[in-house]
Amino acid sequence: MKRSKRIEALDRRPVNKDGYINEWPEMGFVAMSSPYDPKPSIRIHNGVIVELDGKKREEFDFIDEFIADYAIRIERAEQSMAISSLDIARRIVDINVSRKEILEIVSGITPAKMVEVINYLNVVEMMMGMQKIRARRTPANQAHITNLKDDPVQIAADAAEGALRGFREEETTVGIARYAPFNAIALLIGSQAGRKGVLTQCAVEEATELELGIRGFTTYAETMSVYGTEKVFIDGDDTPYSKAFLNAAYSSRGLKTRFTSGSGSEVLMGSAEKKSMLYLETRCLYVTKGAGSQGIQNGSVSCIGVAASVPAGIREVLGENLVAALLGLECASSNDQSFTNSDMRRTARTMLQFLPGTDFIFSGYAGEPNYDNLFAGSNFDAEDFDDYNVLQRDMQVDGGLKPVKEEDVIRVRYTAGKAVQAVFRYLGLSEVTDEQVEAVTYAHGSKDTISRDVATDLAAVEDMMKRGITGVDIVKALAESGFEELAESILSMLKQRVVGDYMQTSAILDEEFKVMSGVNCPNDYMGPGTGYRVDGRRWEEIKAIPHIIDPDNF
Amino acid sequence: MEINEKLIERVTKLVIEEINAKGGVQVLAQGVKAAGSRMAEKTSYAGFPVARQGTDPKEVVIGVGPAFQRQINKTINGLSLEDVIKNIKAGVEEEGMVPRVVKVLKTSDVCFMGLEAARLSGSGIGIGLQSKGTAVIHQKDLYPLSNLELFPQAPLMTLETYRAIGKNAARYVKGEKVTPIEGQNDPMVRANYQVKAALMHIKETEQVDSDIPYIEWN
Repeated sequence: MKRSKRIEALDRRPVNKDGYINEWPEMGFVAMSSPYDPKPSIRIHNGVIVELDGKKREEFDFIDEFIADYAIRIERAEQSMAISSLDIARRIVDINVSRKEILEIVSGITPAKMVEVINYLNVVEMMMGMQKIRARRTPANQAHITNLKDDPVQIAADAAEGALRGFREEETTVGIARYAPFNAIALLIGSQAGRKGVLTQCAVEEATELELGIRGFTTYAETMSVYGTEKVFIDGDDTPYSKAFLNAAYSSRGLKTRFTSGSGSEVLMGSAEKKSMLYLETRCLYVTKGAGSQGIQNGSVSCIGVAASVPAGIREVLGENLVAALLGLECASSNDQSFTNSDMRRTARTMLQFLPGTDFIFSGYAGEPNYDNLFAGSNFDAEDFDDYNVLQRDMQVDGGLKPVKEEDVIRVRYTAGKAVQAVFRYLGLSEVTDEQVEAVTYAHGSKDTISRDVATDLAAVEDMMKRGITGVDIVKALAESGFEELAESILSMLKQRVVGDYMQTSAILDEEFKVMSGVNCPNDYMGPGTGYRVDGRRWEEIKAIPHIIDPDNF
Repeated sequence: MEINEKLIERVTKLVIEEINAKGGVQVLAQGVKAAGSRMAEKTSYAGFPVARQGTDPKEVVIGVGPAFQRQINKTINGLSLEDVIKNIKAGVEEEGMVPRVVKVLKTSDVCFMGLEAARLSGSGIGIGLQSKGTAVIHQKDLYPLSNLELFPQAPLMTLETYRAIGKNAARYVKGEKVTPIEGQNDPMVRANYQVKAALMHIKETEQVDSDIPYIEWN
């Protein structure tokens, strides 16, 4: 066939490099609704749910049982199930029906009913729902802080810059698992050097992550993964009960916790049981609620390539964010993983959470160039900071970030690097040279930094863990090396662990370490003239982008 | 082994004929033909000798996935699995250690495969290798989801990397101060490969056999 030059040009477009697949429910490649999804039903006998979504109690798998026993308000169930799904969907969008009323109704419906409700909503209605149902009055944002070399000095500098730019949570992970403790302490120090009160975590294997938390190297944890089918849970050596236990372990030590789930994981693991992604994810969210977690990171997350490959996949992603909010969970709404070669497509996907606002719009905006992002690339990265700031300004939307001045960026990066150098020296760890601090201060990514001796670092990590170093030792090291203010900030973060207020739903800290959560700053949106509006000081901050034309020059 | 394969081929042919007769074959966007709810017929390894517990302190066990060199013969970026395994073994041998290959059938999760390999290994060091090319170096006393080195982005792997994995695994056996292989990262890997990865992993997971944990594989 003689080829059309138009079609050839289109074939070369980035969007055509993405992976797409037709719906294939037998393998779980179906977003919103599968012919094999169950129909909603509930039967209660003597205060116990004996039938859930068409299944009798004796046929329950452990997810059904956990949901029936812990995630549905039994005294509410019959009344809520009697309301039609269409009616519930309409109330979600209705500005005259409050968040509180909706949460009350939804607390008594089953997962299959929830899926029916969501299927009635188009994406604009879902956004209207999210604007009203999100837990905290103001949206916030979270960053990924990683690099290809696992260089702790760069982590500290990027954390400081990220904090300065407005991220209220920062998350790191590792290329080499044994580096985790260094990454965690570098993130803790760097974040406070940028702006006070930023929460930090280090996403690694669960037992290691728990130990880092107990030692005071981190202040939150969000990698407690849950899955929508029993098989996938078992493959990970887990059950809903073990996750609930782990959640309690973190909480007992005063760490903020959040579960993680997302559509497509069961497909990717080969055990979707023919169900739709939305149904399986809804089960995950009920398990999360039942386990007592205050919140969830969801929105397909690392399996977004699967969700985005099927029709209505991106609609489903917003749908599952909304389910989380409807269950009263804090929602850190993904946007944290690259999934497309197309700039247009990736921006459109993020608008669904950016415009209504979620508790954390990104659960990992890459605070470094994507080549350094060890979560295999985020949907937005450090090179998109100015685009993002302009989007906030264009639409008068609070996306959680703000424009910054170059001299401030350099200053906080340098302070963070010097602080890590001082702590490493004081604790007798591997050396951080002045040249390294200098390189990291002015760097964009790890291509601009001086490589460290990895084997020596790993030996120092092992030694540090054996010596039982904790967050208090870091405070002491900073205080005795001339970083009193930073020492004070990290001590304040450690105090949060004792106070525990930041374990309430959707909590962040302000720069005075005061908690802002769904409890003391609840979302009060009920249509025009209500709820959070971008104005005052915050609007001035957003407006102040660089590269403004000065009329006096003409 | 031959009899088994011939039998399987015959059975497979019959099943496919039956499905075709019912008009049940779907052709998917990426050219994958899917017969309803399976991607490939299941191979039975009944009667195969269960992999033995190693005693040689110089041993590195490589645990390959259930579909390895049967349903899947190439990694996600087209490297032949024969070349991949040859390079890992060569890397181990170059450091003076002894490689042994087992096929793990009880799981298709790379970390658990690597841990099983490490537990079977006389040295306690093992390598997990999925058929799509994802690899891990594991040690028998680590948590399953922890590891010595993990190579999560299979599309970026080369035969040289696999050889280096073999070498590093052998160096851990020798108790040397090992510098981990430098990480690779392609932020577009999910966009370009995740659907293919899902299909390959489904194919591998279909071959999981909970009755036979692992077999020798040469």
